[in-house]
Amino acid sequence: MTPTVQGDKIVVENFQHIFDSADGPIEATGRVDLTIPAGQFVTLVGPSGCGKTTLLKAIAGFIDPTHGRILCDGAPVTGPGRDRGVVFQELAILPWRTVRRNIAHGLEIARAPRQEIDATVKRLIELTGLVGFEDRYPHELSGGMKQRVAVARTWAADPDVILMDEPFAAVDAMTRLTLQEELASLSYQTKKTVFFITHSVDEAVFLADRVLVMSRRPGTIKASIEVPRRTPGGRDWESFTTDTDMQAIVEKVLRLVREEKTAHKKDSAPVALEAAG
Amino acid sequence: MTMAQASHARAVPMHDPFRIGGFSLVAGKFSFLLPFVVLVAIWWTIKIAFDLDDRVLVAPPDVLGALWTLFSRGILADYAATSLYAIAVAIIFSACVGVPLGFAVGANKYVARSLDLFLRFFQGVSGISWLPLAIIWFGFSDTTILVIVVYTLVVPVIFNTMVGVRAIPREYALSLQTLGASRLRVVRDVYLPGALPSILVGLRLGMGYGWRALIAAEMLVRQGGLGDLIFGARTFGQIDRIIGGMIVIGVLYIIVDRLIVQPIESLTFERWGVLRK
Ligand SMILES: Nc1ncnc2c1ncn2[C@@H]1O[C@H](COP(=O)(O)OP(=O)(O)OP(=O)(O)O)[C@@H](O)[C@H]1O
Ligand SMILES: [Mg+2]
Repeated sequence: MTPTVQGDKIVVENFQHIFDSADGPIEATGRVDLTIPAGQFVTLVGPSGCGKTTLLKAIAGFIDPTHGRILCDGAPVTGPGRDRGVVFQELAILPWRTVRRNIAHGLEIARAPRQEIDATVKRLIELTGLVGFEDRYPHELSGGMKQRVAVARTWAADPDVILMDEPFAAVDAMTRLTLQEELASLSYQTKKTVFFITHSVDEAVFLADRVLVMSRRPGTIKASIEVPRRTPGGRDWESFTTDTDMQAIVEKVLRLVREEKTAHKKDSAPVALEAAG
Repeated sequence: MTMAQASHARAVPMHDPFRIGGFSLVAGKFSFLLPFVVLVAIWWTIKIAFDLDDRVLVAPPDVLGALWTLFSRGILADYAATSLYAIAVAIIFSACVGVPLGFAVGANKYVARSLDLFLRFFQGVSGISWLPLAIIWFGFSDTTILVIVVYTLVVPVIFNTMVGVRAIPREYALSLQTLGASRLRVVRDVYLPGALPSILVGLRLGMGYGWRALIAAEMLVRQGGLGDLIFGARTFGQIDRIIGGMIVIGVLYIIVDRLIVQPIESLTFERWGVLRK
């Protein structure tokens, strides 16, 4: 089942979320308007605490936004659903299920026929390089392998939209490069709509069709930068690092992210002076 | 060192905590018997050294003789069966009632928080302290004994089930919802297996407490059971029977705990290694 690549998949309208806390309301995000066309790979960078995870959770349906609304295929999001898969930073693969059964979980829930489950799981295990580990439990795997299981599990359920929150943060640098290349080809080939949060500007540009930069808390989307797809099937780091156009985009995004950091320092300086005086 | 050796060497200390009992029982030098041998030796020495009268302390062989008499006449089997039956009924009842209750309490963080102190309070009020009330309400009957033992067992089962449910990361349930799982499915695939190790801990602890409460209740209610056996023996000053009965009480507990409960527990812990904290 390949999603038809047309129209707007995700629409975030007039969104803002304010948490209630013991010390009064916390503006987790500023106002956000965002449209993600079907099949687009969107990455989101921004300073820590600016509200990236909050936005992702709202799209996933885990939190009910205090302002505005979120549409998926034109229908308001009211809770989590199998049309929007999520890969958590904490991974959240189940420790009591083997690799195979973790990946098969979504299909089991959907009551897919046995042969379909086996075929899909086999394909994803090969694609993610987990051959030979099908019957292992997560605690017997390395961090990078767990990561791949988490991605494969979400992929196996075949959601139209995949939301990922810093999924590769805990993986070693070498594995990360491979995972990024795998993710790029997997998502381009299956024409998924992907919303991907990261702290790495390189990663953001490498994966994306479009990079969004968020301002510091309460975060709004301050820039949206298109990244052309050189090869439709995927990307690789060798050609990415030697492509001057790509590197120019990286520098541009880096500058935008830096601005947020320095702006933050300037803003907080008077507070510090007041406190000192 | 070859790979096979290396992994073998690693595997031994890892499994050791679960193996100690089984390993030494079968292949070891019966080292687990040593402390018992020392205890019996001290006992016998005291008996001889102080030239104690049989009305104060008997010699070990007398106890063996008494045990043989009780056993060959079928008295021991009768009394032991009463106790084992009572504890089995109590365990099954507590599991059926305590686990769902623990789930209900653990699933809601407000209920869990408000009941925490309540449950701890009743952990403090031992089962035996309910005996006066139970005797007034149910008389000197099997019901009274069951009430005491079930009460003793069910509190740790509820408490540990609750703790187990609370310890499951929220992401596990959320990720399953994004795979399209219903509420019931989340309970079946996340909460039940996730809380199982903790439930088993609760049942095991509860069984230990319950067994002690059972013997104590039997001594006072006097309707059969090993507690009744040793308390009855006191009336006629049959010290050999008292000590023999005590040995049976301890041995039966070890048999149930080591040969039934512990293997189940270690099986789940080994599998789901990660969950064990
Ligand atoms: N459940 C909550 N209750 C109260 N405040 C919250 C809650 N979750 C997040 N916040 C606050 O909202 C703000 C945005 O949080 P969020 O997790 O979305 O940031 P983020 O951009 O994902 O940060 P990071 O890059 O560090 O992951 C933060 O200031 C945070 O303290
Ligand atoms: Mg975050």
